[in-house]
Amino acid sequence: MAFPHRPDAPELPDFSMLKRLARDQLIYLLEQLPGKKDLFIEADLMSPLDRIANVSILKQHEVDKLYKVENKPALSSSEQLCFLVRPRIKNMRYIASLVNADKMAGRTRKYKVIFSPQKFYACEMVLEEEGVYGDVSCDEWAFSLLPLDVDLLSMELPEFFRDYFLEGDQRWINTLAQALHLLSTLYGPFPNCYGIGRCAKMSYELWKRLEEEEDGETKGRRPEIGQIFLLDRDVDFVTALCSQVVYEGLVDDTFRIKCGSVDFGPEVTSSDKSLKVLLNAEDKVFNEIRNEHFSNVFSFLSQKAAASLMLLLGRDWGGPRRRGMDIKQMKNFVSQELKGLKQEHRLLSLHIGACESIMKKKTKQDFQELIKTEHALLEGFNIRESTSYIEEHIDRQVSPIESLRLMCLLSITENGLIPKDYRSLKTQYLQSYGPEHLLTFSNLRRAGLLTEQAPGDTLTAVESKVSKLVTDKAAGKITDAFSSLAKRSNFRAISKKLNLIPRVDGEYDLKVPRDMAYVFSGAYVPLSCRIIEQVLERRGWQGLDEVVRLLNCSELAFTDMTKDDKASSESLRLILVVFLGGCTFSEISALRFLGREKGYRFIFLTTAVTNSARLMEAMSEVKA
Amino acid sequence: MWCGPLELVHRPAWPGPGQLGQKVSSQTTALLRNPWRKEKPASARPVLEIYSASGVPLASLLWKSGPVVSLGWSAEEELLCVQEDGVVLVYGLHGDFRRHFSMGNVGGPGGWGKGMESGTLSLPQPTTPLSRRCSRTGFWMPGSSILSLVLGWLSSQEPTASPSVPTWVTSNSAGCQRCQVSPDTPGAAFTAHRCAFCPWDHQRQKLWALGSLRWSFSTTIGLQSAPSCWTTVCQDRVAHILLAVGPDLYLLDHAACSAVTPPGLAPGVSSFLQMAVSFTYRHLALFTDTGYIWMGTASLKEKLCEFNCNIRAPPKQMVWCSRPRSKERAVVVAWERRLMVVGDAPESIQFVLDEDSYLVPELDGVRIFSRSTHEFLHEVPVASEEIFKIASMAPGALLLEAQKEYEKESQKADEYLREIQELGQLPQAVQQCIEAAGHEHWPDMQKSLLRAASFGKCFLDRFPPDSFVRMCQDLRVLNAVRDYHIGIPLTYSQYKQLTIQVLLDRLVLRRLYPLAIQICEYLRLPEVQGVSRILAHWACYKVQQKDVSDEDVARAINQKLGDTPGVSYSDIAARAYGCGRTELAIKLLEYEPRSGEQVPLLLKMKRSKLALSKAIESGDTDLVFTVLLHLKNELNRGDFFMTLRNQPMALSLYRQFCKHQELETLKDLYNQDDNHQELGSFHIRASYAAEERIEGRVAALQTAADAFYKAKNEFAAKATEDQMRLLRLQRRLEDELGGRFLDLSLHDTVTTLILSGQNKRAEQLARDFRIPDKRLWWLKLTALADLEDWEELEKFSKSKKSPIGYLPFVEICMKQHNKYEAKKYASRVGPEQKVKALLLVGDVAQAADVAIEHRNEAEMSLVLSHCTGATDGATADKIQRARAQAQKK
Repeated sequence: MAFPHRPDAPELPDFSMLKRLARDQLIYLLEQLPGKKDLFIEADLMSPLDRIANVSILKQHEVDKLYKVENKPALSSSEQLCFLVRPRIKNMRYIASLVNADKMAGRTRKYKVIFSPQKFYACEMVLEEEGVYGDVSCDEWAFSLLPLDVDLLSMELPEFFRDYFLEGDQRWINTLAQALHLLSTLYGPFPNCYGIGRCAKMSYELWKRLEEEEDGETKGRRPEIGQIFLLDRDVDFVTALCSQVVYEGLVDDTFRIKCGSVDFGPEVTSSDKSLKVLLNAEDKVFNEIRNEHFSNVFSFLSQKAAASLMLLLGRDWGGPRRRGMDIKQMKNFVSQELKGLKQEHRLLSLHIGACESIMKKKTKQDFQELIKTEHALLEGFNIRESTSYIEEHIDRQVSPIESLRLMCLLSITENGLIPKDYRSLKTQYLQSYGPEHLLTFSNLRRAGLLTEQAPGDTLTAVESKVSKLVTDKAAGKITDAFSSLAKRSNFRAISKKLNLIPRVDGEYDLKVPRDMAYVFSGAYVPLSCRIIEQVLERRGWQGLDEVVRLLNCSELAFTDMTKDDKASSESLRLILVVFLGGCTFSEISALRFLGREKGYRFIFLTTAVTNSARLMEAMSEVKA
Repeated sequence: MWCGPLELVHRPAWPGPGQLGQKVSSQTTALLRNPWRKEKPASARPVLEIYSASGVPLASLLWKSGPVVSLGWSAEEELLCVQEDGVVLVYGLHGDFRRHFSMGNVGGPGGWGKGMESGTLSLPQPTTPLSRRCSRTGFWMPGSSILSLVLGWLSSQEPTASPSVPTWVTSNSAGCQRCQVSPDTPGAAFTAHRCAFCPWDHQRQKLWALGSLRWSFSTTIGLQSAPSCWTTVCQDRVAHILLAVGPDLYLLDHAACSAVTPPGLAPGVSSFLQMAVSFTYRHLALFTDTGYIWMGTASLKEKLCEFNCNIRAPPKQMVWCSRPRSKERAVVVAWERRLMVVGDAPESIQFVLDEDSYLVPELDGVRIFSRSTHEFLHEVPVASEEIFKIASMAPGALLLEAQKEYEKESQKADEYLREIQELGQLPQAVQQCIEAAGHEHWPDMQKSLLRAASFGKCFLDRFPPDSFVRMCQDLRVLNAVRDYHIGIPLTYSQYKQLTIQVLLDRLVLRRLYPLAIQICEYLRLPEVQGVSRILAHWACYKVQQKDVSDEDVARAINQKLGDTPGVSYSDIAARAYGCGRTELAIKLLEYEPRSGEQVPLLLKMKRSKLALSKAIESGDTDLVFTVLLHLKNELNRGDFFMTLRNQPMALSLYRQFCKHQELETLKDLYNQDDNHQELGSFHIRASYAAEERIEGRVAALQTAADAFYKAKNEFAAKATEDQMRLLRLQRRLEDELGGRFLDLSLHDTVTTLILSGQNKRAEQLARDFRIPDKRLWWLKLTALADLEDWEELEKFSKSKKSPIGYLPFVEICMKQHNKYEAKKYASRVGPEQKVKALLLVGDVAQAADVAIEHRNEAEMSLVLSHCTGATDGATADKIQRARAQAQKK
């Protein structure tokens, strides 16, 4: 288990520097408001903040009390209020109401708003409209990259997905470009860049412009990370919509990993308290099972538990090595090794508890049926059966998010639902889960997640007619225009081209996986990861034209290689993969597997770690 | 040791004799280190002429404004002309009018009187008091009853050069200095009668009366007549005025006036004729009517020395002449034809002046301007003195001698060299030669000194070469600017004080762009600080050439500048726009690679739509938003929306904003676009987010349905209408049955009805809303099981053939742990799911039978996996046997 990396795999850069930078900047900002102050923190920023600076650091810099930003009047009695918020209009109104309430009461305090990761003009506008702009001072905490793990950087911006892919709001792109710029100033330039997707392209261009404006800094530095790959989430929705079956993904799907840590409830801890556990490479047990298919995890854990017990027993009750121990050695054993073993034991029991809890939940919901349906959808057989399964799912009100996810999966793999199903499934859904989801469907349609098949193939017909009339280049543009009109997925064709559904001869051995498909029980190779694999192998998009066309990204796939031999072969095998709109733990596991196979090391930068439920929630309209 | 006036200008170029004297006496000449300007009263109107320090005419213009009281130069080399009425006109070096401001008209018969007190070399070091000198000037107003003084900072604020490039040290430091000095005393003006004392904020060019500080000047001093002389002194960053009235001296500051007495002043003084403050503001000299000169510290606490020259005639000028860090202190006093240098020595040095002359004190000496010459009087630097003193045995002198002998191929060279080396003084010798070279003005002499230094260097092992190299570079630059065509005869110390950046600035001011660029290239200054900056200045000058067409100017600028780093085309464009050349500005903006930079100017030029597309190009959403707000105010709503329509990125940005802040605008936006789909969605959202009353909600839904029809979205329209029906119905149910029905989904409504025993109503509802059978069965099944109403469930199961099969019945019973009921249904489960059902109820044996009967491999293994423990042993065997049999076949 936990296959070792190839000996020639490059070392990962040290990303703890990012934490230090963020902490120093925050401290500087707090010091700008000397004296005791109360800090109001937006809920979404609490966990990231906790990873950067704990309460005692905040107290050291004269933060008196901590409050959560919520829609309630503040009880703070401090003379200085500091707000640490995301640049959202809602927050501005909250702050404005607070300031105005103070004004009404004839009270003067100092207010400081710290925006993270940056402030937006619209926010200042709102403050001005509410008449408090002069009363507050604004600052930016450019904290955009949180290292969640040794190889995982997160911007912790889940709203990126909805803002960009649904609302077409591009303001976060600048933030991303800044983050990339920061990475290149800290870790040297990236000699090779690849990318696919509109957002990827825009971010890339903006980032390059930033580099140009401030050139000289990174020039001449040896690149540490040789390649970078930017990928839009909408290039591959399918992978993100699948149920996850690798351990880390499953934990995320079941318990929700939040900012790199998870709350295990009483049913896992087998006590009456829940426990917050940090899940990363430092957890030795977790590190070994995180990328494993769930079917292996339990047996591994029990083996491990048995082994550690053996070790303890063997040592304690007169095993052969025990006899030669003097008092000093004994002391050392108790203080050091026993401690380590105890720690390991604690972790083992925790993960075993988690496994049990997952199994209990999954068997209850007919997990097998669900996975079977998903695989059928991915492979494209028994569509009718799958459709009625989904319908039953909706009728039984199993879960609004799950139902929606299956509908989307069906739509994307099938290039949209046939009109009859489209209507009936939606009707059923509305009847089950409430009429406000009419808006959810409108959102999903706009994002291209749940669409209706065009009656006949009228679009293609028009396309071919037009392309006869005009030159090839113009025709390409028109095709693009059409395809963006109805963003059709061509999943089936892509799947064939890229061989996403592995041929199964006999049983797929999940213990010794042979390809990335193991993250989905050997049924499907994640499209996003396959694209990355192919592009890295070909060092560009040559030969992938058809795939790119099918992805509707004809003009949105790019390669930029600097003719620079400064990049060592080692750095070229260190690859930064940027997911715009979020990535799943399954994708991370798949690429980690690919890295081990090929001697690469992948570093992941994502706007947020996501999964199918989060994607669907982002698209859902819920009553306030 | 003193050196006689050194002639610096080789080609006297002033106009004919006679005129100059007149100008000096009629207080119309301001003299500065390098340029030379004057205003001459030609026929009726005076003419303002500006010359370079070498006498090259730079500008000449007819004076059309009021009578000028005084002229002076600011730190940024702007000419300030003070008129009688207090208006100050500011001109550039080339006679171009820049702006004007007023110090306030004090009225009275005399108007503003007397001249500017100083205005000399600007030194860009905010920390030393030197820098303040440039900007301190004063005026007083003569007249029998009105006396007025203005003390203010007359350095100009706006950078004279193009704002494009990072500002030079001068303007920077001038800024710092202002900040440091001005908070308490930016300047003051007071009159004897009105007693107004005003801080003068020059930056805003206004005079503000400060009521609380009013005090009566005349009563305090009892001043009856004009003071005989006065000057400004500066201590601890506070400016004071030292005023001499008869035998008394008064020190004024912004709040008080006190009489002071210089220590050790010789008795018998009945009047002070002249006073002079040293360049550093540390020393003060007083000339009395007895021909006695008192020299001491400016604080009037200590006397340094005194001198009696026995000339009672009032001197024309008296200035300090000293060198930084030198112990020698001396004052130069000038009469009509006589120049006297006096110091801490019983003897004075005297020179005869051939012509009317004017003295300008500087950092390291005194400039003497006359009609035909421009001379510099200074203390000989130590290094030069050591080397050139007659019979000097200083190491430098020996080295110079050695080198000369070496050139003559004489062995004496070796002797001299040996002599220095024996004393171990060769490094000092080299250093002395280098230093002395710096103070020489003649290239030949510089060369021979440097040659000597270079010669000496050969005999030293590890002599750091940089001082030598730097001196060579500095001298090259100095010699270049000292050329009379350029006319900036700086001394080495002045140059060092000024810094190369300021020197470049001055060259740019004189439009000597090629020389400036050559210097930058020669000194290898970074492009951003050097060449590109100068090119940017050049471009800013170029856009002012009105006779050249826009096309040509733009092309010429682009050719020269290309993509030089650090050049901002938008700044040049801003300058062009400032000159009223909008078209040129737009052309120039096209060369600007950063689209974000183009936006502010485009907005200023009212090209908002172009600005919008540029902002979008830049990818900076904040910039887009700025432009949007601009557009919103500029255009009417319709046009604004039309503009948005063509810019999807801006549109979505604005929509996002409206969603949170201006919902009504959002509706208007959709209306404008005929976007009925979104309009429908908008009203749907309103139906549950904004409206409270049921009528309002239904009305909102109706509007939404209408919109959906318009959008040809029949599905959504129907769904909305259904929802309206459901809402009304739920309301009725709440009224009739109590409980909570509103906002439940259809499914939940029916479930709730069943749970509360309203089966009839539930059926009715299902019919009304055409709930499919399958759903209804699932729904009833779940609801009845929840109620544990097994009787009703059985009845229901028998009502007709189940559309969902009977496995769900088994499942749900088992979920409620009712094995008894579950078994009832297990028998009715269809053959495909029979095994599953039997396994669910725990009947493994029968499941095995069925599986064997079906001969289904998968089913058999499923049963097998359920066989646990001893009880199922027989069953397991049975299956194994059946399997074996099947395989045989």
